[in-house]
Amino acid sequence: MSGSLRGHGATVLVTALATVFGVGLLGVTEVIAQATSESVGDDPSVRLMLTIVSFVFTAIAIYVAAVVTTNTVATIVAGRLRTIALVRLLGATAAGERRRLAREGLLAGAAGAAIGMVAAWALVLALVLVGIATGALPDRAYSFITVTMAVPVGAVVLATWLAAWSGSRRVLAVTPVAALGAAVPEGEQPVRARRGRAVVAAILFALGLALLALGIAVGMVSPAGMLIAVIGGIASFTGVIAGSVFVIPQLLRLAGLLLGRDAAAVLGARNALRHPERSSRSAIALVIGVTLVTMFAVAGETFRHTVLQMVTDRWGDAGLQQFDQTLTTMTMILSFLVGFSAVIAAVGLVNALTVGVLQRTREFGLLRALGFSTGQLRRTIAVEAVQLTATAFVLGTALGIGYGWAGAQSLIGSEAGHGRLIPPVVPWWFLVGVAAVAALLALSGSLLPARHATRVSPVQALAVE
Amino acid sequence: MHTPPEQGLVARVEGLSKRYGSGPAAVAALTDVSLGIRSGEFTAIMGPSGSGKSTLMHIMAGLDSPSSGRAWIGEQEITSLGDRELTLVRRRRVGFVFQSFNLVPTLDVEANIRFPFELDGRAPSRDEAAWLDRLIDALGLRARLRHRPAQLSGGQQQRVAIARALGSRPALVFADEPTGNLDSRTGREVLALLSAAAAEYGQAIAMVTHDPIAASHADRVVFINDGRLVADRPRTPAAEISEFMLGIEARS
Repeated sequence: MSGSLRGHGATVLVTALATVFGVGLLGVTEVIAQATSESVGDDPSVRLMLTIVSFVFTAIAIYVAAVVTTNTVATIVAGRLRTIALVRLLGATAAGERRRLAREGLLAGAAGAAIGMVAAWALVLALVLVGIATGALPDRAYSFITVTMAVPVGAVVLATWLAAWSGSRRVLAVTPVAALGAAVPEGEQPVRARRGRAVVAAILFALGLALLALGIAVGMVSPAGMLIAVIGGIASFTGVIAGSVFVIPQLLRLAGLLLGRDAAAVLGARNALRHPERSSRSAIALVIGVTLVTMFAVAGETFRHTVLQMVTDRWGDAGLQQFDQTLTTMTMILSFLVGFSAVIAAVGLVNALTVGVLQRTREFGLLRALGFSTGQLRRTIAVEAVQLTATAFVLGTALGIGYGWAGAQSLIGSEAGHGRLIPPVVPWWFLVGVAAVAALLALSGSLLPARHATRVSPVQALAVE
Repeated sequence: MHTPPEQGLVARVEGLSKRYGSGPAAVAALTDVSLGIRSGEFTAIMGPSGSGKSTLMHIMAGLDSPSSGRAWIGEQEITSLGDRELTLVRRRRVGFVFQSFNLVPTLDVEANIRFPFELDGRAPSRDEAAWLDRLIDALGLRARLRHRPAQLSGGQQQRVAIARALGSRPALVFADEPTGNLDSRTGREVLALLSAAAAEYGQAIAMVTHDPIAASHADRVVFINDGRLVADRPRTPAAEISEFMLGIEARS
């Protein structure tokens, strides 16, 4: 049976976005290098530096896309439990079914990467034409397709394949006898004591924190401390993602207590806890997005304030303005680069919420049959979304501030700190904006499909297998 | 204590017990059940809800393991097999028809019927292809081969499931309440098809049901109550089965 791409739309989209980003950055770098080769000479070190920056941000985008893909595949598995049980009953092996899902993921990743590559070329070409037309670029022929573009394309395909493999683990736990059950199985089972996962998550987190601390300590004497801190950040954040299924339900429980006492609110708050895996999958995409943008905002602001302080101390107000200009431009470019990964995370959030709601058509039918009005039902779903957003936002903000400060501290601690820690600078207005966007995404991601899920009559909804 | 399989038995269990939980809270789903299924015979396994008939079928089909006792499909003991071997047993030696959600929703009728071969990674041999053709015609599915399960009625879906179950000529076909979701006329047709498969093709069929009318189509009716085998009858009219069941329920 050949793989189908049903349900993999989100995977195709995020892999295409990650590829557009990676290939596009390299293409733009190439165009800039060619455009400036006559004026400043072809400086290989500048081109190398830009290429490295492109790769770092592409790696972040691919990482986010891989997490989204893992969750997308896990969501697909949750929706296909009954079919998987059926084919297992008829003699399909669990390993074979898992391979098939991983192959579907690979196919989706390859399709997304191909689409993304072509789109990136078209985009760079359009930028070049606009640049020439407006006089921003010298009028000459540019060749922006490079061999290095194979790196992001290959990385996207490989990461998607691995992500699909990792997301399909639950297939192994589906028993064939579930296909014979008269009752439709619940979407998911409660998290069993999976000690292995908890241990790995805890080790990654602890190891990452230790490396972060080491990076900050080394950063007191050398900017190279930042490299250690980056590795520590990646390790500890992977630990957070792996352990999210244990941590996020606890946070959701706390958030649920604050949401009111009527039936719709209580039910919504409990729903988020009843399927800890599904809730964690939806929340984690938001946590990643919020962590990333907060991290760069805090790091950028802390860096800017500290450097401006240093400049004022040494040269007075004279040099300040030009420095501020340069730093602001740099922060804007970084924001754009990291914003792209946040968009990928947003796609993951909306997809997880949408599919989660659609998979629960039957459950909503039952509630309607028991006398819930569509309004009450929508409120229940909205409460779940608000609870999720609040939880993920708080967690992501806390992580982002911590990582952003650690990054700035380890990079410039040796210059600015004089042996002391520099205080983090948190742009609160920015966080308010992030919260608003997150709430908007979460509400639209769950309420739009909820309109569909509640429009079917209770009888039809209950008949859905 | 290895007992050689009796002549003509395609599946059997011996001294089968199944308990859930342990200590004083343990619940016995099956107690010392021994049963053989003969080829060419349509056997109904009857019992009230919670009698243990489903547990018995699950163990006989290698879907569940007993607390004690042994089970065979043909010459092969399945109680000691690992998941991989059991998967192959299900794929090659057992067919399944059940109440609903029988078919893979994303595959059309023909692909569903060929699914066991697909899983085995091989095309049906010329002989097997001819057999599949014969089944497709006999079950009246020729015009529906390109339809998806959602486009079929409940009765048509059961026919496809029967074609799939018989297609690989398994040692035994398990039918779990195959008429539970059907109106009575369509249900009769499905039962007649199962009965004919036993009589004409020599197929062994074990049907789990609590419906006396469905059981009356079988060549043999086995009664389970409270996890024990309480009676083993030849073909019996529905009224008698019904009376016997009422007797069981009154005594328990």
